Amino acid sequence: MSQAESDSGFSRAQERALACVLDEIIPPSEDGRFPGAGELGLVSYVGERAADLVPMIVQGLSSLDELASGRGAADFAALPRGERRGVLEELTAREAGFLPLLLFHTFSGYYQQPPVLEALGLEARPPFPEGHEVEPNDHALLDPVRERGPVYRS
Amino acid sequence: MSDEVVDVLIVGAGAAGAAMAWSLSDTRMKIVCLEQGGWMNPAEYPSTQSDWELRQFGDFGLSPNGRGRPEDYPINDSGSPIAISNFNAVGGSTILYAAHFPRFHPGDFKVRTLDGVADDWPIDYDRLEPYYEQNAQMMGVAGLAGDPAYPHKELPLPPVSLGKLGHTLAGGFNKLGWHWWPSDSAIATVPHNGRAQCINLGPCLTGCAQGAKGSTDVTYWPAAVRQGVELRTHCRVREITVDENDMADGVIYYDADGVEHKQRAEIVIVGCNGVGTPRLLLNSRSRAFPDGIANRSGLVGRNLMFHPYAMVQGVFDERLEGFKGPMGCCIVSQEFYETDPARGFLRGYSYEITRGMGPVGTALSGMSSGEIPWGAGHHEAYAERFDRNAGMVAICEDLPEPHNRVTLDSELVDSNGIPAPRIEYRLSENSQKMLEHCMARGREVLRAAGAHSTTAQGPLPFAGWHLMGTARMGTDPAASVVNEWGRSHDVRNLFIVDGSIFVTAAAVNPTNTIQALALYVADSIKERLANLFD
Repeated sequence: MSQAESDSGFSRAQERALACVLDEIIPPSEDGRFPGAGELGLVSYVGERAADLVPMIVQGLSSLDELASGRGAADFAALPRGERRGVLEELTAREAGFLPLLLFHTFSGYYQQPPVLEALGLEARPPFPEGHEVEPNDHALLDPVRERGPVYRS
Repeated sequence: MSDEVVDVLIVGAGAAGAAMAWSLSDTRMKIVCLEQGGWMNPAEYPSTQSDWELRQFGDFGLSPNGRGRPEDYPINDSGSPIAISNFNAVGGSTILYAAHFPRFHPGDFKVRTLDGVADDWPIDYDRLEPYYEQNAQMMGVAGLAGDPAYPHKELPLPPVSLGKLGHTLAGGFNKLGWHWWPSDSAIATVPHNGRAQCINLGPCLTGCAQGAKGSTDVTYWPAAVRQGVELRTHCRVREITVDENDMADGVIYYDADGVEHKQRAEIVIVGCNGVGTPRLLLNSRSRAFPDGIANRSGLVGRNLMFHPYAMVQGVFDERLEGFKGPMGCCIVSQEFYETDPARGFLRGYSYEITRGMGPVGTALSGMSSGEIPWGAGHHEAYAERFDRNAGMVAICEDLPEPHNRVTLDSELVDSNGIPAPRIEYRLSENSQKMLEHCMARGREVLRAAGAHSTTAQGPLPFAGWHLMGTARMGTDPAASVVNEWGRSHDVRNLFIVDGSIFVTAAAVNPTNTIQALALYVADSIKERLANLFD
């Protein structure tokens, strides 16, 4: 297993482990429309956005492997899917910052990805320059407000 | 150091400084404005990038403490449940504001007379009305005539798009028989004075890449600069200096390289708003003014008013397209604006419908509230909320209380070593009761509009957007800092033109009134040029 760092700031092994964690945070949808966060490739996004905190994430991943080995698995990625959440929650009791950090970056990164936006029925683009079409105003809805008359003190 | 004496020196290029500079520019006086920030580049605003929702937590954040741009100064607001929000650039906080642009009501100028609390202003609605109209043309205000919450007013541009979300919530207000109206908005809904029209980008609160939002870098400043006003950016003023006659004779400031300069002036005008202005005045100590310039009343920094905000949100069954359209401008309700003693508090509040959240905002909001879990059930919970969320804020009238104040921090300084402001603020019992009322009524109207679940939070800890009252206006030098036309009681060539001169806060966004006041003070100066210092 290569320990060389990739562009994400993590080693290849750490990338695989982190992808497993991200897939636990946002798993694939049962209908297949939405990919898991790990399989979507959010590892590099997390490495970029949380560059200053990569050592903390690496420490957390190491701790996850330790906890997994206590359950008889070679590492976290080798755990059965049904056991991974329990191990993540067990780690949170020991290293409180690890999971909230990943939750923030996973939630915020996932919903910027073009496949996810398209699955939500959106165009995968920033608001500018196209903007948005909005239905025309119906000012007839104001009739009862007008009929009531002035509502201010002079 | 330059020996040049300019006619007018304005400190701060935000909402007020821009209006003042433009209005005075027709006198052909030599006018210089010093601004600690620089010109913004709309091509770099968040809405041009895929991470547009995230940058509100970074370089376009509300708090200068978290944002930490070089132009920002720190603020110790640990003594307040409401943190200060501002922005330092040409345009000031109008770069980030929602452009929600209501006027004060006539009754807002006579609170003491009507309700027996606070004080009356020394001017009234009729005095400011022509300046509201002038400001509407310059800022490009969109709205619909006929709002029964106001005297008749014409607005130059058609109202903003209400969208599906606005129409849905309007139905809730109608069901309860409550007032609502399309928001007055400083947004070019059609091309206006060279500005492109709004294309419903959404995130107005991180700058308008389209240039449709009326921030003063695209409204007053281009006109003022064309008419000869000199705007010097990245110049941070340390203090206002006085001469042997106790008149202001200029300022000392630092340029972008930290080099100290003195700029002399015949007239000094301060427009740094409700925290920056008292900070500058308090930092301007001299033999004549040992407690800060213009502070013989001891009121500089006191009577700080925010608008305590509540946020009420609802989740609907149908999609609302809530992320389409100006984030802060949709519809407003002033059903509970005027005092009704039966409610248990005095004065009142406005509701402002703020539309919904984008994909990332939905995820992060749901994460923090616990409504969108990680792991199993994530997608189902997200689908129930995305684009089905409608939000509104309630903006409550704060009352002036002397113990709520801006002072100078004994340790904290900015990058030039200038003492930073410190905020001491307690939420009053009146405001607390008002917040409870508006949260309960807000949930009621969202349910009436069809929401199947609602949440409410108040006061919003990050919502110190509106900073008022810290150099109040009045006719009595012992009870106010400036007179009824913005001139310091103590220093006859020193003027203040921002939210700090407000006597009371009303329950609406203050920018329109700040600018109307600036235009009024500018005209007052022009009318008195022959004997201005008498």
